[in-house]
Amino acid sequence: MAAVVAVLAVAAVAAIGLVACGSSGAAGSGKEGGTLNVTYASFPDYLDPQLSYTQEGWTAMYDTYLPLLTYKHASGAEGSEVVPALAKELPKVSNGGKTYTLFLRKGLKYSNGQPVKASDFPYSVERMFKLNSPGSTFYTTIVGAEKFAETKSGGISGIKTDDKTGEIVINLTQRRGTFTNELGLLFIALVPSGTPMRNLTDNPPPATGPYMITNSERGRAWTYARNPAWAATNAKLIPEVPSGYMDKIDVNVVRNDATQVNEVERGKTDWMQNPPPPDLYSKVKEKYEGTQLRVEPTVSVYYFWMNMQKPPFNDLKVRQAVNYAINSEAFERIYSGQLRALHQILPPGMPGHEEYDLYPYNMAKAKQLIKEANPTDRNITVWGDDEPENAEAAAYYQDILTKLGFNAKLKEISADSYTQVIGNQSTPDLDTGWFDWFEDYPHPNDYFQPLLSGESIQPTGNANFSMTDIPALNAEIAALGEEQLGPEQEAGYAALDKEFMEQAPWAPYGTRTVTTFVSSAIDLDGVIYNPTFAQDLTSFQFK
Amino acid sequence: MHGVTPEDHMAPGPAGAAPALLTPAHGEGPWRLAARRLGRNRIALAFLGLFALIVVFCLAAPLWANEVAHTGPNDTHTLKKVEVNGEKRDVVTPAGSPLGPQWFAAGGKFFLGADGRLGRDEMVRLMYGGRTSLFIAFVSGLITTLIAAALGLLAGYYRGWVDPVISRSLDVLWAFPVLLLASALGLTLAVGGLNLFGLHVPSGSIWIPILIIGVVMVPYMARPIRGEVLSLREKEFAEAAVAQGAGGFRIMFSELLPNLWSTIIVFFALNIANNMLLESALSFLNVGVQPPNSSWGTMIAKGNDLITSAPLLTIIPGTMILLTVLSLNVFGDGLRDALDPRSKVRLEAHAGVAEPEGAPV
Repeated sequence: MAAVVAVLAVAAVAAIGLVACGSSGAAGSGKEGGTLNVTYASFPDYLDPQLSYTQEGWTAMYDTYLPLLTYKHASGAEGSEVVPALAKELPKVSNGGKTYTLFLRKGLKYSNGQPVKASDFPYSVERMFKLNSPGSTFYTTIVGAEKFAETKSGGISGIKTDDKTGEIVINLTQRRGTFTNELGLLFIALVPSGTPMRNLTDNPPPATGPYMITNSERGRAWTYARNPAWAATNAKLIPEVPSGYMDKIDVNVVRNDATQVNEVERGKTDWMQNPPPPDLYSKVKEKYEGTQLRVEPTVSVYYFWMNMQKPPFNDLKVRQAVNYAINSEAFERIYSGQLRALHQILPPGMPGHEEYDLYPYNMAKAKQLIKEANPTDRNITVWGDDEPENAEAAAYYQDILTKLGFNAKLKEISADSYTQVIGNQSTPDLDTGWFDWFEDYPHPNDYFQPLLSGESIQPTGNANFSMTDIPALNAEIAALGEEQLGPEQEAGYAALDKEFMEQAPWAPYGTRTVTTFVSSAIDLDGVIYNPTFAQDLTSFQFK
Repeated sequence: MHGVTPEDHMAPGPAGAAPALLTPAHGEGPWRLAARRLGRNRIALAFLGLFALIVVFCLAAPLWANEVAHTGPNDTHTLKKVEVNGEKRDVVTPAGSPLGPQWFAAGGKFFLGADGRLGRDEMVRLMYGGRTSLFIAFVSGLITTLIAAALGLLAGYYRGWVDPVISRSLDVLWAFPVLLLASALGLTLAVGGLNLFGLHVPSGSIWIPILIIGVVMVPYMARPIRGEVLSLREKEFAEAAVAQGAGGFRIMFSELLPNLWSTIIVFFALNIANNMLLESALSFLNVGVQPPNSSWGTMIAKGNDLITSAPLLTIIPGTMILLTVLSLNVFGDGLRDALDPRSKVRLEAHAGVAEPEGAPV
């Protein structure tokens, strides 16, 4: 009997240990508990899951608000995998790809103790539409969503739920191959029914994840504590999401990034969210890489768009000439080594990426093409934002165009309004300019549909800055977009990438890297960098 | 009939409110007298010399760019190498660090180094930037002076409804912090440029900051001018002109304006210095001179990105602004003392310096 008790005791201890290890996620051997001190260079756009559409906001809420699905808490390609979060399992897709059925896990609770109900899902989707969230565009194919977006009343008829069984059925107007990915975005993370229909950044709504935001001072700071409902119920029900090591996380906005570096070096700050400033970057990298600093690839493309509907860029030869004149090595220097050369649309890390270069640097060939094209309109405006490296990239590009014989004028405007200005077709002289694109989710359609499909051209809020509208390629984007992503589709996107670059609507020049820079007290190896949500707060632990 | 005294016919001069006080007994003209006073002020002259040197330095920009540096102010050299003492060196290293000052080690090329990761010649940009800054400060100063003098004369001479309308309008303009107003205007005009009364000034044009600065500084000059006109119009020479049947415009431009010259000249000199500071601030905030063109303000803004690794990129244009503004201010003070010595006495009186007995106040 004693042996049985001993075995049971060992088994119980082992089981508790397994739960603890499993819930902590990353394979760390450090300490549990403590307070993580973090600095951000700026306050996120929103601390409200339905509204935030920036990397900073998504990083801040990845472990706080859980959608039905989420992205695996892992680095690299593994982190692009969609896994269940509040839903029991991945959706069952039926009706020719137009119906998605999911079941909510039973027994889940919000941080305020309220039970999580299936009907909270349509409430959260409606809240997103009512708040005119930028994320609304991902969900307009839900039956009744477009009407709801206009009227803001009457509910979304395409979503049916049953609180008793936890069933959630979503009907789409057309097949949408990216919908599973979109179910994992924070825009439709669940919040309790009755959550006010206003921006709750100052008083964030109750959480379902391992952490909850306990205090938010807009523009200055915010704080996390462990979500009591997580330890009590949710952790056991959602093994896919780790529990985290820290008991508390304090985030402060420190606008001077040199000060942030200094604080990390002194151990006052445990992690700075933004990279070190360009002029300190090489020194910091040299000193701390491998011990306190790690370079992280992002799934991004940095490029110059050329307006295909206006001279001189309505001429293919001119666009190709610009591509030949782009020397990525110069841009690597402009970004202080925080950019890797890329001369195509899909960046590494994105399914469908196959490396190639149609336009290796050749200034002589570029000048020859311009000579052949002999454009009559040589007065062009180059647009760029005022972030230091991006501004310099645009200035360098303007110099390239000048060397190609254009009378290129640089127009540098505030990064805060840049996208709105160049996305508004009434803005004069939208000839060419700078832009970057980071993935919303790991699906190649996210690069083609909004940025290069003719269907996406809008009078305002336009993201197809090159005004690319090639019917054959529009049809390919639409067809691929309806299918679930698989090897065949990935090959299709790789081919589409080349077909677009043959038309040269853009002159891509690189993909950005960022850094994870932590104090000497933090276990750097354990820190997860997810391709969509960046650093995972649950993975930070003290050595 | 009111008798006209000889004093009322005296030539108006730089002394402004009381021409007779400055007219010397031995017949020396008031301007010559002011020049003599200025000539005795060594400090003011030294700073005038410094300002002249700065102007010559800036005017020599094309000469330096073509004959020494062999590059234009906006030419990028990110991937170029430069020969320094027989050794080839990157203008910008692969890690993005710009070349530091080379003085004459590279034959005058990159004398002050490269301006950042674009590898532009800092010395060439400093000289061209100085031209831009001085041009903006000078032309906007002229605009301010013209508008302020006209408004000050109209408000001060006509009074009635004209004065409150002009004065309150100036008060409204004055109520805004000047930098806030100027940067708001700069932001508004950043995309579409200025379209007013058929006049189109494209955004990014150097005329945008010139017009902004020229307009926002008007109240600072117009109000003192108005005050002086209010005082001058009560003087006997103005009354005499009225008695002789002179019209309002003739009195303003022939009788009052000549008496305002000393005030206007002093204000103009000091205004250039203020304009230079305002231009630098606007360019620093990215609403002044637009890139890739340089001004000392934009150079400080760009240099600020590399403040820890290449502080000279900020310090050098900052020092140029300091020297220019200081030289203009000291010279402006000297000019004021020369043109209106009583103002110095007044200032000293305010400062508590013992006032000489019988001195005119």
